[in-house]
Amino acid sequence: MFKAKRRTVVTVTAVAAVLLGGALTATLLTSGKGNATTGNTVEYQAGHRPAVPNLTGKSLTGTTINLSSYRGKVVVLNFWGSWCSPCREEAPLLAGLDQQYSSKGVVFLGDDVGDTPQNALAFTSSQGITYPSFNDPGYAVVAQISQVVPVHDTPTTVVIDKTGHVAGTILGAATYSELTTLLRDAAVT
Amino acid sequence: MTDVHAPQSQPESAAVEDDAARSFALDQTGTAEGGSRRTSRPPAANAGWLRWGWRQLTSMRTALILLFLLALGSIPGSVLPQQGSDPGAVQQYYASHPALAPWLNHLGLFNVFAAPWFAAIYLLLFASLVGCVLPRAFRLVGAARTPPPRAPRNLARLPHSSTYSSALSPDAVVAGAAAVLGGQRFRLRCSEADAKDHWVSAEKGYLREVGNLLFHLALLGVLLSIAAGGLFGYKANKLLVEGQSFNDTVAALDEYHPGRLVSGNDLAPFSLTLNKFTANYIDSGESRGQPSNFDANVTYTSSPGAKPGTYNVRINDPLAVDSLKVYLIGHGYAPEFKVTDAKGNVYNETPPFIPANTSTFESDGVVKLPDASLGFMGVFEPTAFSAGGTLMSIFPAADAPAVSLIGYSGNLGMNDGVPQSVYQLDTTGMTKLSGSPHLLTPGQTWTLPNGKGSITFVGVKQWVSMAITYDPGQVPALVCAMLAIAGLLLSFFVRRRRVFVRAVPAASGTGSVVTVGGLTRSDASGGFEEEFAELAAEISASEKAKP
Repeated sequence: MFKAKRRTVVTVTAVAAVLLGGALTATLLTSGKGNATTGNTVEYQAGHRPAVPNLTGKSLTGTTINLSSYRGKVVVLNFWGSWCSPCREEAPLLAGLDQQYSSKGVVFLGDDVGDTPQNALAFTSSQGITYPSFNDPGYAVVAQISQVVPVHDTPTTVVIDKTGHVAGTILGAATYSELTTLLRDAAVT
Repeated sequence: MTDVHAPQSQPESAAVEDDAARSFALDQTGTAEGGSRRTSRPPAANAGWLRWGWRQLTSMRTALILLFLLALGSIPGSVLPQQGSDPGAVQQYYASHPALAPWLNHLGLFNVFAAPWFAAIYLLLFASLVGCVLPRAFRLVGAARTPPPRAPRNLARLPHSSTYSSALSPDAVVAGAAAVLGGQRFRLRCSEADAKDHWVSAEKGYLREVGNLLFHLALLGVLLSIAAGGLFGYKANKLLVEGQSFNDTVAALDEYHPGRLVSGNDLAPFSLTLNKFTANYIDSGESRGQPSNFDANVTYTSSPGAKPGTYNVRINDPLAVDSLKVYLIGHGYAPEFKVTDAKGNVYNETPPFIPANTSTFESDGVVKLPDASLGFMGVFEPTAFSAGGTLMSIFPAADAPAVSLIGYSGNLGMNDGVPQSVYQLDTTGMTKLSGSPHLLTPGQTWTLPNGKGSITFVGVKQWVSMAITYDPGQVPALVCAMLAIAGLLLSFFVRRRRVFVRAVPAASGTGSVVTVGGLTRSDASGGFEEEFAELAAEISASEKAKP
């Protein structure tokens, strides 16, 4: 009886020790994984740039947008919504860069997700944004481009080079330096 | 992991059973009981520790303790709110237990099934099972190839035995008995042709071991299936108001919990539109207000350009698209507003309101219009009733809807980039438009003071919350669970039993004395005694049938 008890104690202790060890190892492994992801800009070197499918759809004002008609120009495609705080924060930057780069062969294009056209147009007019946006309440355009590059959050900005390939993406609100660096690398002077 | 019973025997017969009985025991004790008994004392030598640890880990006791711990560990998963299934409830728990909640969080108790300690139990159980099953599988294969043992010397001392006299010679008796036993699909081993000794050993019931092995392998299969589901599957939630649609992409999902080996590009390219949601409630009797039916009518396409289909998603009747399942997990009301701001811009908003009371569906929500510098906090009553000046809902259906609004104007704080909840209004930079809430019924308009514009309560829509799950391990897990049960039944109901027949020349000089002995390991379901008696009778009868 005593022996049996002792055996159980030994077993339970051994199991507990191994469990603790396993838990510590697992914690270390998972925390290491989490730290590895830093930065929100992804750049694709020329020759390794994924081709963008031809995105088509209606704009907020009802006109038709066809991405392939922009071939030969660098396209900044911004995924946004008037409900999204970081999108509202980066909007003045995008409006300003649109003006600054329009003479340099760069066009800006928006994809308004999870929104209504009325709310979106009130926002763009108040921010002085003049470039068109897809009316994409159901994330259809996002789903199409997600097959090629991850657009996993709103806002996301995708820079497409003159040949219709992705030069880089910025996840989250873009900064001036992030976006201008990508534009330069997309072969824009 | 099934019970191990040595054959029951009288003390004095133990010696006689010798190899027959002992080999029965040896098949078994190597794995579980004998294994841990032999190694339970930690050895002094260093190299022995590893061996000892492995034996401990793969012993049946450890496996059972781990299985128990696994069950114990999942209790907090059902008692405490879980981040994965109900993050709102976790927030509430934080609010009501500010001292305790951070500690529980450190222990991973708000996300039990992803906690490292839970994974540790799981992996150890897996290692324990593998360590138990693999050697066992090899042993079974070995046992299946081994012929039955030689017949013991004194069959009369076996638990079951009978003796009779035969007119035939010993070798003829044994040959006849072998034919009878072989006909009953016993595995046979006979005495050498030229030996003086005439006997036959027969063994049956190998299916018991097969069932046992099947059970263990299927248990491994269940664990592997669950692991595959966790690694390659994903779970997501999406709230949709009637008329809204969405494509299955990470950005569109409200919540997304991918498995370890899932990337965002692996999501199935399906899209879904909520056409109409219908909820029926019992309107009389004791269970008045209880839901009787939920029905979400959706249109879906499995991939862009595919032919659209329609489906009525109900509770426990999910929509299956490709290998995905879309479940209906919640619903509520979304009042529809038309807002005009001071400049004359018009906005349409249909914000989902969250039920504060799930039996009357009194719901809370906000209307946020950052570009109109307007915000509203609202309470929605599906069947509004004013009791002594207090507005309440008396029925969950939208029979007499009304919404009570408190208006604010000013900066909503949404331009500084800090993400906000769509269900909350930050009024720190705003001023109240009126002292008391304003009540609206469908079609009514509230003209806001000081020329700030107006808000119209257009009507009521409903929203549903959908869970999208992809679990590649579900079907294999079910199949394995069924195999495990089948294996368990086999190992419960099939007996491993041995029958021996020995014939010696009779003292009179002609004929022989035949002894039939029987031995079974565990006879939990009973019946070997009868089987043995029948067999013995059949063996003695068979020679009389011969001329």
